[in-house]
Amino acid sequence: MGGYGDMQMIDENGLRVDGRSPGDIREITIETGVIPVADGSCRMTWGTNEAIVAVYGPMEAHPRKIQRQDRAVLDVAYNMAPFSTTDRMRPGFNRRSREISKVTKDALESVVLLELYPRSKIRVTIEIVSAEAGTRCVGLTAASVALADAGIPMTDLVVSVASGKINDVVVCDLNKEEDNYGEADLPMGILPNSGELVFLQMDGNLSQEEFKEAWQYNMDAAQVVHEMMVEALKRGDSQ
Amino acid sequence: MNSGPVARLDNMTKKNGAAGSRKNNRGQTLVVPGEDLGDSEGFEAGHGVMSISGRLKAVKQGRLKEKGRSISVEPTHTRYIPRPGDLVIGYIEGCTNNIWFIELGAPFNAILPMSLGPGKIDFGGTRSVMDIGEAVLCRIQEVEETHSSVVTMKGMGLRKIRSGVIEEIDPHLLGRLIGKGGETLRRLKTETDCRIVVADNGRMWIDGELDGILDVRNRLSAISGDSNGGTN
Amino acid sequence: MTIPIVPKLLRAHLSELSGKNARIDGRSQWEGRKLEVEHSVLPRAEGSARVRMGDTIVLAGVKFQLMQPYPDRPNQGGLMCSADVRPIAGRHWEAGPPSPEAIELGRVVDRGIRESGCIDVDSLCIIPGEKAWQVILDLFAVSDDGNLFDAFALAGIVALRNATLPAERFEVGKDYPLPVSKTPIMCSYHKVGGRFVYDACAREELGGDERIHITLGDDDNVHSLQKGLKGIFSTEEFTEIMTNAQGRTKELRKIVDSL
Repeated sequence: MGGYGDMQMIDENGLRVDGRSPGDIREITIETGVIPVADGSCRMTWGTNEAIVAVYGPMEAHPRKIQRQDRAVLDVAYNMAPFSTTDRMRPGFNRRSREISKVTKDALESVVLLELYPRSKIRVTIEIVSAEAGTRCVGLTAASVALADAGIPMTDLVVSVASGKINDVVVCDLNKEEDNYGEADLPMGILPNSGELVFLQMDGNLSQEEFKEAWQYNMDAAQVVHEMMVEALKRGDSQ
Repeated sequence: MNSGPVARLDNMTKKNGAAGSRKNNRGQTLVVPGEDLGDSEGFEAGHGVMSISGRLKAVKQGRLKEKGRSISVEPTHTRYIPRPGDLVIGYIEGCTNNIWFIELGAPFNAILPMSLGPGKIDFGGTRSVMDIGEAVLCRIQEVEETHSSVVTMKGMGLRKIRSGVIEEIDPHLLGRLIGKGGETLRRLKTETDCRIVVADNGRMWIDGELDGILDVRNRLSAISGDSNGGTN
Repeated sequence: MTIPIVPKLLRAHLSELSGKNARIDGRSQWEGRKLEVEHSVLPRAEGSARVRMGDTIVLAGVKFQLMQPYPDRPNQGGLMCSADVRPIAGRHWEAGPPSPEAIELGRVVDRGIRESGCIDVDSLCIIPGEKAWQVILDLFAVSDDGNLFDAFALAGIVALRNATLPAERFEVGKDYPLPVSKTPIMCSYHKVGGRFVYDACAREELGGDERIHITLGDDDNVHSLQKGLKGIFSTEEFTEIMTNAQGRTKELRKIVDSL
C-alpha cells in the first residue's frame, strides 16, 4: 500500500475520483467462447482491467512427475502482457505472477471436482492484457467462467473482488489510485451460492469494524457479479 | 470432496437460481455450476448433478434434463471418458518395443500392448507395423484408475485405418448424428456414397470419393453449428 | 512448443485435395480466411490492434520508453519487436522460455517492419546524445489456428500506424502521432499437398511442408523473405507466389489505410 490518506480521494459529496459511491462496483463485461481453439474461454473487462482466460483439458498430464493417481491436477498460470501497464512490463519470470498463479490455483482446486479425472491435467491460462487494480480478482473470476464454459464440473463458480479503505472510508472494488494510495486492500474469492470462501488476502490497516464492512462489501458485490457471470454463460449457451 | 471453506459469515444469503432459469432456443432450461435444482427427496442425481445436504445442485454448465427420477445436465462440450467396450479411433503417439501409446482425445492416453495388436509381430518391430501418426480403430479393453487404460485390436472390424479421413465432433452430438435407430447415419452414408464408422470418442472415419467426403464434412458442420457444439 | 503428431491420413488427404484444386476448409488456392482488423483496443498501450484471420486471433501493443542513444548514433532512437506465443493460444504451446518457433515468428515479423524503414529512427531523437524514444512492439497470440506470421505482421503495422508518442507523460512536449512512412505487409505461403497455398489454417500447417514469408512495401519493394521448415521449391513456384503477394499486399494495405 502507498500513502496513508494524504491524497483526497473522496469528495464532499462522498463520491470517489471516478464518480462512484463507496458501495459501487466498476463497470464489467463478460463474454465466453472467445478463443476458438480452446476447450473453454472467457474475456472479462472490469473497469480498465481486461483478462482473457483459456482452459484446455482434461488432458494427459505431462510431464509424468506432476501426474496424480487420485485426481486431476490444475496447471494455472497468471501472466501480465507487456502492454498491460502504463510502464511496459518486461516479459519473463515474475515473482508476483508466480504467487498469484499459485493462490488462484489453490482457489480453483477447492471447487473443481478433480477426483473425476485422475491422472489428467487441466490447464488454465490467465492473461491480463490491460491492468487497473484487482487483476488477481478479475483473473480468478474469469477463470471460473472459462472452466464452466469448458464443461469442467465445479461445485460453484468463484467470484473475486477486492474492497479496501481510502481516506478512512471503507469502499468496494478499489480502482488504481485507491489501490496505490489507500490504506487497505482486502481481496476475497467467494462461492456465491453458499457465501463460503476459497481465496483470501489482505494488507493495510483496518479496525475490526472496518474489516467487517469491507468483508460485507465483497459479499454483496459477489452476488451482483455472479448474476452477470450466470447471464454470460447462459447467453453463450442459448445461441 | 474437500471444498475447504475458509470462513462463513452469520448473515450470508442463499441465492436460489441466481439470474433465474433461462431457456435456450429449444425451450430447454440452462443451468450453471452451483445452481440449486430443488429438493433431492425422491430424485436421483444424474450426470453433472450432485446431491448435497438434501438439495440437488448442478456442477456443470449445460441443459437441464429430467428423465423419470433422474435429473442430469447435458453439457455443451463433453470430453470423452473411456469405458470398457467402447469403439474408439485413436492416433499412435509413440511406441516402445512392445507397446503403442494411443491418443484418444480423452483425459489420458491408452496403451495397446503388442499381444493385443494386429497379427504377429516380433519384439521391437512395433514401428514397422504401425508408425507414429497412424490412426487405428480399436476397442477399450479395460479402464482402471491405477494404470493406463488398455485398448485392443483383436476383434471384428478392428484395424489400422489406411485411407479416408478422420473427422471429430463433440461426443454429446453423436446421438444426433446417428439418429433414431441409426436412421440419420444410414441416410448420410447412402446420400454421400461413403463408408462411415462412428466411434464412441467423437471421431469418425469417412472413406470414399473426395466429393462424398467433402459432402459429409459439410453436413457435419451443419450438425455442429446448429447446436453450437463446434468441432475440435 | 510440443510438436503435435502429424496424422498420416491427413497428408494423403491434403494431396488428394490439392490434386483436385481444393482445400480442406473449402477455400481456393489463393483465398484468405475471413479477416477482422481493429485498432486502439488496448487502453494501456500507446498503439494497439487486434487481428482475426479465421480462428487465429492476435493482439499487438506499442509501448514507448525513453532511452539513451548509442554513442555511435547520438541522433537515433530504437525499435524493438517482440513476439510471444503463450500457452493460452493453443494446446501445443508450452510455458517456459520462447521456443525456436516463437523466436522465428518474432524475428521474421521484426525484419519485415524494420527493413521497410517505415519507422525512421532518426525522427525519434529528443535530445541528441541524451534522450530518444524507443518504440517497443509486442505481439501476443490469443488463438492459434494457423498463420500467426501474417496475423502478427498485420497487427503490428496497424498498431504502429495508430500509435501516439506519449510526450506529455514523459514531460518532453506534446503528444503526437508516431510517424510511419510506409505500410509493409507480409503474405505467407505454405506448401500443402505439393503446391503453395495462401494463409494456411492449422490443419494445413500440420500436414504441410515448407513455408515462405514475403514482406512487400508500398511500392512492391521487397523488404524481407524467409523460407521455413523442410522442403524444396522452384523458381517458378516462387515467381507464382511473389505475383500473388503483390496483389494481396495491396488489398491488405487498402484495408489498413481505411481504418
